[in-house]
Amino acid sequence: MSIPRERLRRVCIVGGGQLGVLAAVALRRTLPDCQVVLVGTPADPGAYADRAATALPFTNRLYQRLGIDEAAIVARAGGSHRLVQRYIGWGGEGRVGTMAYGAQLDAQWRTRFAREWGGGPRNAGSSEQAAGSLAEVLADAGRFAVPPGDRATPLDGVDFGLRWNMPACRDLLIEAAQARQVVYVPGTLDSALRDGAGGLASITVAGQGTIEADLFIDCNGPAGTLIDLVAQGEWQDWQPWLPVRHLFHARPGQPLLALEDRVTLTPQGWLDAIAGRDGLQLVLGYGAGVTQAEARAALPGQPEALVEIAQGCRPESWKGNVVALGDAAAWFEPLAHLNLDLAHRQLALLLEMLPGRAIEPLERAEYNRRTALMAQGVLDVLALHYATPAARAVFGEQPVPDSVSHTLDQFTRRGRVPFREEAPFAGAEMAGLLLALGYPAGTSPQASGRDAGEAAAARRDFDQRAREALAFAPAYRDFIAGGPQASGNPIAADLQY
Amino acid sequence: MGEAQARLRVVVLGGGTAGWMTAAGLAGLLPHRCTVDLIESEDIGIVGVGEATLPHIRGFVEKLGIDEAAFMKATHATYKLGIDFRDFGRIGESYIHPFGSFGEEVGGIGFHHYWLEMQRRGLAAELGEYSLAVCAARANRFAPPAQDTSLASTYGYAYQFDATLFGPFMREHAKGQGVRRHEGLVVEVERDPASGNVTALVLKDGRRIEGDLFIDCSGFRSVLLGQTLDEAWEDWTHWLPCDRAAAMPCTHRISDIRPYTIATAMPAGWRWQIPLQHRMGNGYVFSSAHLSEEAACAALVAAADGDPLADPRILKFRPGRRKHSWSHNVVGVGLASGFLEPLESTSIYLAQMAITYLIELFPESGAIDPRDRAEFNRLVDLEYDRVRDFLILHYHATTRDDSDFWNHVRTMQVPDSLADKLELWHRAARIEKYSDGLFYDASWIAVYVGQGMLPQAHDGRTALPDPARVAGALDRLRQEIGRQVAAMPGHVEYLHSERSRLAEAEA
Repeated sequence: MSIPRERLRRVCIVGGGQLGVLAAVALRRTLPDCQVVLVGTPADPGAYADRAATALPFTNRLYQRLGIDEAAIVARAGGSHRLVQRYIGWGGEGRVGTMAYGAQLDAQWRTRFAREWGGGPRNAGSSEQAAGSLAEVLADAGRFAVPPGDRATPLDGVDFGLRWNMPACRDLLIEAAQARQVVYVPGTLDSALRDGAGGLASITVAGQGTIEADLFIDCNGPAGTLIDLVAQGEWQDWQPWLPVRHLFHARPGQPLLALEDRVTLTPQGWLDAIAGRDGLQLVLGYGAGVTQAEARAALPGQPEALVEIAQGCRPESWKGNVVALGDAAAWFEPLAHLNLDLAHRQLALLLEMLPGRAIEPLERAEYNRRTALMAQGVLDVLALHYATPAARAVFGEQPVPDSVSHTLDQFTRRGRVPFREEAPFAGAEMAGLLLALGYPAGTSPQASGRDAGEAAAARRDFDQRAREALAFAPAYRDFIAGGPQASGNPIAADLQY
Repeated sequence: MGEAQARLRVVVLGGGTAGWMTAAGLAGLLPHRCTVDLIESEDIGIVGVGEATLPHIRGFVEKLGIDEAAFMKATHATYKLGIDFRDFGRIGESYIHPFGSFGEEVGGIGFHHYWLEMQRRGLAAELGEYSLAVCAARANRFAPPAQDTSLASTYGYAYQFDATLFGPFMREHAKGQGVRRHEGLVVEVERDPASGNVTALVLKDGRRIEGDLFIDCSGFRSVLLGQTLDEAWEDWTHWLPCDRAAAMPCTHRISDIRPYTIATAMPAGWRWQIPLQHRMGNGYVFSSAHLSEEAACAALVAAADGDPLADPRILKFRPGRRKHSWSHNVVGVGLASGFLEPLESTSIYLAQMAITYLIELFPESGAIDPRDRAEFNRLVDLEYDRVRDFLILHYHATTRDDSDFWNHVRTMQVPDSLADKLELWHRAARIEKYSDGLFYDASWIAVYVGQGMLPQAHDGRTALPDPARVAGALDRLRQEIGRQVAAMPGHVEYLHSERSRLAEAEA
């Protein structure tokens, strides 16, 4: 007879950024009889999951599951919505590409049977699916409202990345952690004691004493202080594929309300701009061939922080009883908003596969197998950016991971995106990203056989849906200014970056 | 518009199920990219083992624009909600592996963990009671699933049909799409000496059929991939020892037309009962190392419920697959590329899967890109390997010790990939997760639990809520399933509600 596993009695999370706090909330929710101790180590400016002012649609769903109210983020933490990501100059001088979100549009995933039993030999994402998105139509028109959810609307299926004021959003998470009686211990790590089974028995926080725990979660940023103790320096270096070596962050600029964010390829590197009701966030990523002075000159606004980065990941992010999340597991530049997205997908997997007090080696192996695929998916997406001809002109020639060559070959010759387990983007989204980066889509064999009438009918259908969506959605400014979210921050007068 | 590409000349060798499915698929979905010639010989029989299918077949038929009712009428099809496995884990026990799932996850924890916990407390019914598909099947009822995310969308369906009629149906369809049929025996395969590519097939009467791409659907003979190109074969007999089937149709009663297939474990293999509109398909899949053909036929005749409609015939096969399903300009589809026994009705699925990938990766204007070939082989291998592990599980997860056959499969060394899955289940009630390939969590759980392979321990969080509340939720789910099943028409009633899907009575 199967018996319930003995539950974790105490979990110790190290890292007081927004990731660590959310992990604490999540653990308390799923294990109400477990003590959760959060050690608030000082924030690392290079901890990009903790710094993130935005993520991808997965985070919206995780927040909902964990009782973090999206409306509260909009009302109290300067929240806003990104429908599309614009890529400027990546496809060549003056070219603008647009990527939207939304994997659920695919018909084969509509019913529960399809999700749980599979839709058959799946058609890989193709360029056809990505052509024309409602999100882009809405972003162009500056119209959007979060659909009510309890009834069908013309906006269903339009997904978005949520943005926020990070410190304010972290405060919201801290409230949730306090409401759930998370034990907070501020301080820095002093020492740790191994458990003889490849993990840790306890850690000591300077001036606070020793904390024993069944499970340790390392949310301590790129230093990965805990995981490093047990992983014996195991590290997969991503630097051969990713040329950026420094990130120059500017002080937040003027408030900006927009449905899009932009990343622009410049002669020095890329300039990422995230609109925010509390200020535009800018960061310049540049390679070894650019001096700090050149980068400084290229950065609009006042510099706030300079981060030197060494990208890579832990081949196994769960060792013994230590699980690394976010930058402690994989450290990479904040491009495509993947940092917190990856951390949240790791956290969701940990919640799904939460061990008992005794950890089974095979469950750890399964977790590591899946998180390694997640990390590879991130590396692939990043490497795709640097493989465009325009990016090569800026950053120099980089080798390309085999999986990226494979995807690029299939896409540019066949219009096909090979399916990858645990990838950050679904096939249709990936096709959208490739197009936005300026990769030309090859023609799929089936598309070449389609007649013009069929294409015209699809176009008419899309135009009709676009008209309905535009008629339904209010001006985004009115949506933000009209609800309970109106209190708080001033709204910029124009949509200029 | 770009210039019209020259159409590729595709030659399909073999007119069985795989051959005509391929011809219909290519001609129907890539009409501007290829011409299709198919060579078949009336002197060569077809295997036509698959009488049961998986839900994916519906997508294939739909994509080709075939009307479901017409298709069912032509193939004498009935609806299928799953497979009833009897005597596999232990003699006298049975379970249904449904085209559907069990319950719903709660707070991110899989339903089966809660079920295990409630079962421990004596507060849970049998797992199948929480599956709409299982309950509908047991009640002999059927209704099409809903197209939303409600409870009524938690199942799918396939068909039980006459495979010897499916091929001809696809043939008529394919011919309507412009496929040219050539009757004749291939006596010579011409190849280009430089590239090794096949250039033409020569028939006995001297006709020469040239082509750019050749699809080997010649069944186990694997004339092109095996005999001509000598593509290596990976043998899986040591894990899947069944290598013969005795097949025999018999009469049935209306009440026997169940919306599911029955698979009954036998001393040296297992026996299928597949109800069609006008007859029952029966067969005994067995290991020739453990049972003679005569004894298998005798056992099949003895076990048949109805009157035999023909003598038993023997089919021979060997489980395994070619190392590469696409080599040079030859693509194997169906038995020519690999075979996995019909325990989970995967034969037609595997052919369909290969056709789908071939369409996705169809060569551009004549030249085959080695990268597309490699991609095709990667995808096909992945599907075969995943199905293989799942099939082995049915034999290995048993306590049966009543015959040499069961002693062998119970104690054999399984592939490492399966051994890890078993251990993960055993220790923590978890399933290795993937989204590509066939058979997800629900299928693995159905077989593990159905064959008595309960884990040692499950997620400890299931013990947190008040057991009475969880039990109440489980009861409500069962009641709702009961209500929905009661509202469904009987399978035969539903089948007969539209005359257009009924075949003419057989003479």
